[in-house]
Amino acid sequence: MKVLVVEDHAEVAENVHIYLEKEGYVCEVSYSFEQAMTKLGGFKYDLMILDLMLPDGNGLELLRWAKQTHPDMGVLILSAKNSLHDKVKGLELGADDYLPKPFHLAELNARLKAIYRRRQLQGSRTITCQDIHIDTETMEVRASDNMLDLTRKEYELLLYFVVNKNRVLTKQSIAEHLWGDYIDTLDSFDFVYQHIKNLRKKLSQAGAKDSIQTMYGSGYKFSVYQ
Amino acid sequence: MRLILKFTLLFLLISVGVFFLGGMITYQVFKKEIDLEQERFLKERLQYITRMIERRQPTEDIIWDKIQIYPLGNLAKGTEIQYSDTVVMHSTLERLEPHIKLDVTLEIKGKFYRISMYDIMVEEDDIVESVRESMIWFYLLLTVIMFMVGGVASMYLFKPFNGTLERIKSFRIDQQHPIQLKKSGTVEFNKLNTFLEEMTGKIQKDYQSLREFTENASHEMQTPLTNAIGKLELLLSSGNLSEEDTSKVIDTLGSLKHLSKMGQSLNLLTKIDNREFENIESVNFSGELSAAIDNFKELMDLKSISLQCENKQDVMVSMDATLTTILINNLLSNSIRHNQEHGFIKTFLDDSRLVICNSGPSLAVAPETLFERFRKDRQKGDGLGLGLAIVKRICDASGFSVNYTCEKEEHRLEIAFKA
Repeated sequence: MKVLVVEDHAEVAENVHIYLEKEGYVCEVSYSFEQAMTKLGGFKYDLMILDLMLPDGNGLELLRWAKQTHPDMGVLILSAKNSLHDKVKGLELGADDYLPKPFHLAELNARLKAIYRRRQLQGSRTITCQDIHIDTETMEVRASDNMLDLTRKEYELLLYFVVNKNRVLTKQSIAEHLWGDYIDTLDSFDFVYQHIKNLRKKLSQAGAKDSIQTMYGSGYKFSVYQ
Repeated sequence: MRLILKFTLLFLLISVGVFFLGGMITYQVFKKEIDLEQERFLKERLQYITRMIERRQPTEDIIWDKIQIYPLGNLAKGTEIQYSDTVVMHSTLERLEPHIKLDVTLEIKGKFYRISMYDIMVEEDDIVESVRESMIWFYLLLTVIMFMVGGVASMYLFKPFNGTLERIKSFRIDQQHPIQLKKSGTVEFNKLNTFLEEMTGKIQKDYQSLREFTENASHEMQTPLTNAIGKLELLLSSGNLSEEDTSKVIDTLGSLKHLSKMGQSLNLLTKIDNREFENIESVNFSGELSAAIDNFKELMDLKSISLQCENKQDVMVSMDATLTTILINNLLSNSIRHNQEHGFIKTFLDDSRLVICNSGPSLAVAPETLFERFRKDRQKGDGLGLGLAIVKRICDASGFSVNYTCEKEEHRLEIAFKA
């Protein structure tokens, strides 16, 4: 999967670059509107991560142009301005998702994969991880050929774990993934713990291997033998 | 009291003194003039009498009404004319009246005569009486004219001032163009207008830069935070951290997130204060509330909190839609956050108010102080302390009143839509 990161802040771009390379993406970075135009003019990408605030132009303009020349490319907007106006405008112009800064890299990864799955019209929409099979279209989960009966949140949690396998996920990033902005003022960690407890129980009842590892100090990792 | 009325009253008060003094002066002038005239009148009569004596050369005393002539022979001595005041019986009035008296001894054709003449005098009381009466009439006339002229003139004179007031009333701090005030012919009003124009212009500029500053500060903060969070997450996923280090990194991540949220919340408060959410529309409050309750239901279940709703359907409230969502989410998340296991939440909504009650540990501080920024009960570490401050600001901006009470372990927050 080929990703273009358009982000003027070099450090942030580098973080994304490193994280995505590890995930197995082919990742290229543009630091300006100009560079992004050049890259998009010469190559084809599956996904573009676009920061709206660029030093030499408006990200929305770039989006408008990119959507005409690369209609198949998925676009995820990053913005430091958590403004409803930008979000609505971006989605209207054909962006697939909008992620306000600051974001968790695991969240970015999950969103990118979701965009990619949605855009793969022919390909399989099933994710397999060891003995767990997730059909992202019907939201059905099988573990060792047994159908799992998961609530919506448990399903989202499992999917988040699977797409970020072998990574430490903080309770905070999980909570934000599951409840988004609603979680803002809540001490959410107990809720995350409860969901994980239930998910573990259901997975082990279905006969799947318990891959959710509790990390010392509010973290979890979905460990998969590679 | 209106300025023109104050002005008129002050003027009339001062006029009382002026009229009093004026009356005294008028009296003095009158008196002097009348005395002079009376003396002149007596002098003229004296000439007439002198001519009569020249003609008749009387030898007997002549005593008429108001004239007495005593022939003195050749042995007397002439005197100057002397005036004096005396009291004489008035023949027609038949009572004693004050008179002016002229005494003189004259030599006429070699003989001396002592002549006394009287004339009824204009009494002081009469002068005082007439001066006082005319002064009172003048004063009444002045009062009536002052009030009439004052009423008409103030309408005309204060027209530019009232115009300025109207402009100031419609002044909004967030409008782009400075206010323009009409020039008037009055120096004071022009000074006031110039001052107001400069002041409002400066206020608008300061407000604009403050707004830009808060917006920029909040945005500029997010990018470095994104970088820091990203770096720490890369560190976490590198896999070669000890458990202790992992815990430190995760703690740091929590703090960074806290910082970011704080920036966003303060930015939100500033935006509310700056009246940036003013798309007032009729919002279906019931719908918003039940949607939010659906979202939070799961969290309530996880904490075994029972929910009891008594919400009227289709309650329409006029306020900004974005603020409605923020308000309801803040209230509900607060009622869950400060609740306890197996606690309860009760909501009540009708056309005039929203009440949310919840169980929870009793407060160590007075409930209303929690509306202040960064006020937290027992300084719990994980919250921002901005939730109720935001609620309060939203209520203020929407014209609602909000009231928070806590009795034992039951917290009650009431919002009245029509304050």
